[in-house]
Amino acid sequence: MTNDSPYHRQSPLRPTTRRDFLWSSGGGLGGLALAAMLGRDRALAAPSVGAPAPRAKRVVQFFMAGAASHLDLFDYKPELVKRHGQPSDFGEPVEAFQNGLGPWLRPLWDFQPYGGCGKLLSEVVAPLGDVVDELAFVHNMTGKSGVHSAATLLQATGFQLPGFPGAGSWVSYGLGSLNDNLPTFVVLPDHRGFPSNGVKNWDAAFLPAQHSGTLVYPDAEAPIADLHPHRAGAYVTPAGEADAHRLLAELNRGHAATREGDQRLDARIRSYELAARMQLAAPEALDLKAEPEHVLRLYGLERGPQTWPKEINAEEETWHFSRKCLAARRLLERGVRFVQVWSGNDNSFPRRNWDSHEDVRRDHGPLALGMARGAAAFIQDLRQRGLLEDTLILWTTEFGRMPSTQGGKGRDHNPFVFTNWLCGGGIRGGITRGESDAFGYKPLDRAKPTTVYDIHATLLHQLGLDHTRLTFRHNGIDRRLTDVHGRVLRELLA
Amino acid sequence: MPRGPRWLGAALLGVAAAVAAPDFEREVQPVLAAHCLKCHGPEKQKGGYRVDVKAVALTGGEGSAPNLLPGNAAGSPLFRYVSGADPELRMPPAGEPPLAPAEIAVLRAWIDAGAPWPDHASAAVADPLAWWSLQPVARVTPPPGAPHPIDAFIRTRLAAAGLQPAAPADPRTLIRRLSFDLTGLPPSPEEIAAFVADPAPDAYARLVERLLASPRHGERWARHWLDVVHYGDTHGYDKDKPRPHAWPYRDYVIRAFNSDKPYARFVQEQVAGDVLFPESPEAVEALGFIAAGPWDFIGHAEVPETKTDGKLARHLDRDNMVANALGTFASATVHCAQCHHHKFDPIPQEDYYRLQAVFAALDRTDRPYHRDPAVHARARRLQTDQAANRAALAALEAPWRAAAGPALAELDLALAASAARGPNVRRGYHSATAATADTVKWVQVDLGASVEIDRIWLLPASDPFNGIGDGFGFPVRFKVEVSDDPEFRTGVQLAWIRYDVTFMADFPNPGLTPFSTGGSKDDGLAGRHVRVTATRLAPRKDDFIFALAELKVTDRAGNNVALGKPVTSLDAIESGERWARANLTDGLAPSGPSVEQQAALAARREEVLRAAAGAEGWERRAALRREAERLAAEAAALPKPDLVYAGGIHHGTGTFTGTGASGGRPRPIHLLARGQVTHPGRLVAPGALSAVTFAPATFELPEDAPEGERRAALARWLTDPRHPLTWRSIVNRVWQYHFGRGLVETPDDFGRNGGQPSHPELLDWLAAEFRDGGGSLKALHRLIVTSETYRQSSAVNPAASATDAGNTLLWRQNRRRLEAEAVRDAVLAASGRLDLAMGGPGWRDFVVERPEHSPHYVYAKADPEDPATFRRSIYRFIVRSQTQPWMTVLDCADPSMRVDRRSESLSPLQALALLNNGFILTQARHFAARVTAEAPELAGQVARAHALAVGRAPSPVEAARLEEFARTHGLPALCRLLLNLNEFLFID
Repeated sequence: MTNDSPYHRQSPLRPTTRRDFLWSSGGGLGGLALAAMLGRDRALAAPSVGAPAPRAKRVVQFFMAGAASHLDLFDYKPELVKRHGQPSDFGEPVEAFQNGLGPWLRPLWDFQPYGGCGKLLSEVVAPLGDVVDELAFVHNMTGKSGVHSAATLLQATGFQLPGFPGAGSWVSYGLGSLNDNLPTFVVLPDHRGFPSNGVKNWDAAFLPAQHSGTLVYPDAEAPIADLHPHRAGAYVTPAGEADAHRLLAELNRGHAATREGDQRLDARIRSYELAARMQLAAPEALDLKAEPEHVLRLYGLERGPQTWPKEINAEEETWHFSRKCLAARRLLERGVRFVQVWSGNDNSFPRRNWDSHEDVRRDHGPLALGMARGAAAFIQDLRQRGLLEDTLILWTTEFGRMPSTQGGKGRDHNPFVFTNWLCGGGIRGGITRGESDAFGYKPLDRAKPTTVYDIHATLLHQLGLDHTRLTFRHNGIDRRLTDVHGRVLRELLA
Repeated sequence: MPRGPRWLGAALLGVAAAVAAPDFEREVQPVLAAHCLKCHGPEKQKGGYRVDVKAVALTGGEGSAPNLLPGNAAGSPLFRYVSGADPELRMPPAGEPPLAPAEIAVLRAWIDAGAPWPDHASAAVADPLAWWSLQPVARVTPPPGAPHPIDAFIRTRLAAAGLQPAAPADPRTLIRRLSFDLTGLPPSPEEIAAFVADPAPDAYARLVERLLASPRHGERWARHWLDVVHYGDTHGYDKDKPRPHAWPYRDYVIRAFNSDKPYARFVQEQVAGDVLFPESPEAVEALGFIAAGPWDFIGHAEVPETKTDGKLARHLDRDNMVANALGTFASATVHCAQCHHHKFDPIPQEDYYRLQAVFAALDRTDRPYHRDPAVHARARRLQTDQAANRAALAALEAPWRAAAGPALAELDLALAASAARGPNVRRGYHSATAATADTVKWVQVDLGASVEIDRIWLLPASDPFNGIGDGFGFPVRFKVEVSDDPEFRTGVQLAWIRYDVTFMADFPNPGLTPFSTGGSKDDGLAGRHVRVTATRLAPRKDDFIFALAELKVTDRAGNNVALGKPVTSLDAIESGERWARANLTDGLAPSGPSVEQQAALAARREEVLRAAAGAEGWERRAALRREAERLAAEAAALPKPDLVYAGGIHHGTGTFTGTGASGGRPRPIHLLARGQVTHPGRLVAPGALSAVTFAPATFELPEDAPEGERRAALARWLTDPRHPLTWRSIVNRVWQYHFGRGLVETPDDFGRNGGQPSHPELLDWLAAEFRDGGGSLKALHRLIVTSETYRQSSAVNPAASATDAGNTLLWRQNRRRLEAEAVRDAVLAASGRLDLAMGGPGWRDFVVERPEHSPHYVYAKADPEDPATFRRSIYRFIVRSQTQPWMTVLDCADPSMRVDRRSESLSPLQALALLNNGFILTQARHFAARVTAEAPELAGQVARAHALAVGRAPSPVEAARLEEFARTHGLPALCRLLLNLNEFLFID
């Protein structure tokens, strides 16, 4: 019987089954279990023909939740200053998320040139002026949706739907760990809560669970979940713990001895040794008190915690963001592969993220200054330790904000254009590649925007991974971080 | 244009003569090979196009097929691209050398000559439909050699590979394995002892029956099913709101497995239960399947369908429904054909959009139904009676309407218009709430300059909140004043003419009728600021407010001088776009005839109709209307309906309207170029996979068929006995959960990117046996677990391992690590605290903070001693954005994605979770208390604890070491240690 399938008329498709570049069993059958757990299976990262030479070993991603305004921070538009207050005219119909298409709104802060490159930066991110010669700006980033959830997922995982691994999970899967005693991929969330989609921005999805981002709260009593016994376990004593580990290993070895040929059993015995070591290594890595005074001063942390006012303020934002930056540096130094640092939580009231529909000055002011102080200190700190050259830094957000005003003081979503910057790890500093148009409304060259796929392709490239070959088969598709897109942004490379 | 040889037309126009067709193989093929073949040949088929296969070259390609129009080079897309005639697309792409003029001339001449292409000059391509999973399920006879057909199939393959099956597992191993497989719980030490001591030959068979009959069986297998359909109790995405009515679907699945619902019916109910089995309340709950996956709240509730982002959100929502339905029931990856034809399987883009059309009327929504079948039946009967009543009334009136003519039609139009509302979004100004009515609130407008005022208009707002509707928040007592002083301390003028009806007495809710003060002649008003002060507020549900849609101030010329002017107020709620001070002067207010006007219209309509009816008819009409009232009263007296979160017609207001307003008419589904909602192509009718050839790919439904018929057609298609995918899919899933791996390793993908069956004959035999035996899952379980293949030991035989290290041929059973839920349930079973209460809303092991906006689900703050959390894991409330951290570390299924097979990872974080989590430490203490109560002395307590944890007594050496540890560090510490044993976590 035939029907209207075109396959009854033609036979176009290649009938071969594509072979996995990487193993994709999910660690199910023992043989690879130990190696996979340790993330040390060099087969995963084995250089293959055409693989790029690695320029970076580790990555830090700064993510501004809520959508940071490119116009008020990094992407100076004199045209907006000139036309401030005039009715906005985009030359085409515009669909804005909350119809925030009021008059043109000039940048909320003044811009000045910084560094040898003379890049114009807003005074609210002035601390980044000290390191601007290390930064490469991309002002023609474009997204697909002006809805926070989908847009955040897109920038974090390369897909607009939940159910895909975060960029850090892919890097963990592709390169494994540099230090078995610490997690490979660490997430430092905003202390007030998660961004849109919560853990879906950084979990392993279909990759094996050990590639999930591990949540770390540097200042919390329990910085990593279950690192130490819950208070319900008051009966656990240090002496008992040592004996328990010994006896557990002994009994598990006896069990494994009668079940030869199952490496998972051995891997699990080993996982308890690593767990014990992580219990020592993690608190040491997160002990910010161990930092000398001059480092604390660099990060603006010398005054210690304060009682902060109820209203959002720059000192408090600096404290929290810088603590995360300092923790990130200590983790990276000790072999963590990928650290994701979030600024801002989900959309709730009072607003504590970058989604400044109502008042850019009120929210962006403290958030941006805190971020700029922390990030600038972090970059200087890495530089003086010689870590900047093989640590890639990516600053991003889910989309930009409109050049027109919403309600006089706020700005609506702009999924059409926004800014990323990169730094370190073989990135050429002091440059801008990719411009937005005169209003910062869309890319200057609308036919050639930069996308998250390009950013991710570049990131993997610097790590020595070909983004088209780092794949995992799931539900019938060889999934990639870059889907079916992505171009390495060679113009950004040193 | 008359049909005839194309070249003739061309020749008559004198464009090109068919005199010298270039030789295809000598002249044309080399051009195509040199410039096109790299991207459109055997290696790649960009755009689904290739130039080495005649059929594809002439008819194929995604965007512009057909690319060749024989006889018409100038109109052929291929020629336009290579000759530079198309400004949009140029081939070969930039960076590749363009065709030489001579080459272009050859192609032109060849196409104009009718593109003659000898068949022998075409590459051969394998038939894409020649794929195992698309072939009909074969009726296979088991080979001889073993009494159990499964063993016969397995051993034939083993023998061919020179392998032997492993020895049978010992009874203790077997009962532990079977208990976890069929119920997800360990056997008690007593059950183990009884089984080990039972010499009867049917001991195992009885054990199987006992476990299959246990209510725990449905709970265990429902968890597998919920993995596949990605069930969750929150929406996911931004704000991740809870779904309080998702659980009836979860309970439905548990009941379906416990009652051994025939599989075809199980499938049909989940896709179209409401249509196919309207008498069954369960069939409504089953539709929770369609809504099981995540949902983008903001993309629906804050972005209308008219915006691109709103279209995208709804497109992706349907995508999820399609992927869930075809992946779950047919193991097909149709979602890969969203942007282009499937790259590996014969699934064209049309198929994908045909399936989107099946779900085009639906949204995810709370569906009312009555859980009590008797009430459900009564409600249905009432619905039927009401429909019949409406139909009888319509039939009776039809001739009168015809007779009454345009007069009636006009009245009907006027009445319909009176139901039309004003702005749904920018509703107006809304004060903060007050606890008492007698709270003073004011709102005022700054006109910018002192103005001589003719009239001041207060336009009431409308809001469906608590059923209030028109006149929402309109003050009960108020006054209107004008002053040049923004503080209203000096020079205040009162609009006094209607002062007594608004300030001295309660003003009745005006509906949508605007209120106006007296004119300038009466009130003599002039000033810059206009203030409305409410002294008695309008009631809301539990509080009082002041709201207005619009404040208009007209001058003598009738201009609204308040339009767009700044608004201040004592207080306000600013709630997104809907309620904002600025809305008071935005020129938008709901409008419509007053209640009185509407009543007058209706009365007039009655008169007109009556005139056409005649006395007898009018009497009959009155009777029918009395009947309608009676039915309505009876319907109103029904118990409040239950709700299930399911696929259905959404009757919404505001931005998320759904299709309810159109009576559930399906949204038009277009084929989207590259999957982009901004590039809709032709309309697509509902249907299914064209590669499944027993039925046409497009359902043969009338265009105006109700939406449910589309789903019913899909349900029937999926469960057709001839379906090559459905029956194989389910038996493979069941097999996987019994052996740790399916006969096909990729249960969600039976396409070319998936696995091939390791035992194709066995797969087909099982599928046919299952299908023809009435689709009994319990019979399938029985069949599998009674095989010797299932019952063999999991011990590794080095020789066999050398031949078949992956155990594909099943020369042993596979050792499996318990899944997260089974670990948790086994811990509770050991501690003696497992609460076996079934069903109902999920238990929560988190604290919700800030529930009003974006709920934070905080697990760390939950009390691990809360006995409500001691129930089985299947009843856990599953949050998508903040997955349970402890379960996640143990590879729990991610509710945001479809999981056909759990991954099995091992990590230090997992070790920490099992050592230190509050749940483990709490239950270890209960575990210790239990064994203390059950055995008098330490040795007995240790032995009992060991037996409860791993199903056997400790060896003397183990006992000695364990007792020593317990003596030194206490029984709770010992119990915690036992819960960390490999032997506790792995099932031999």
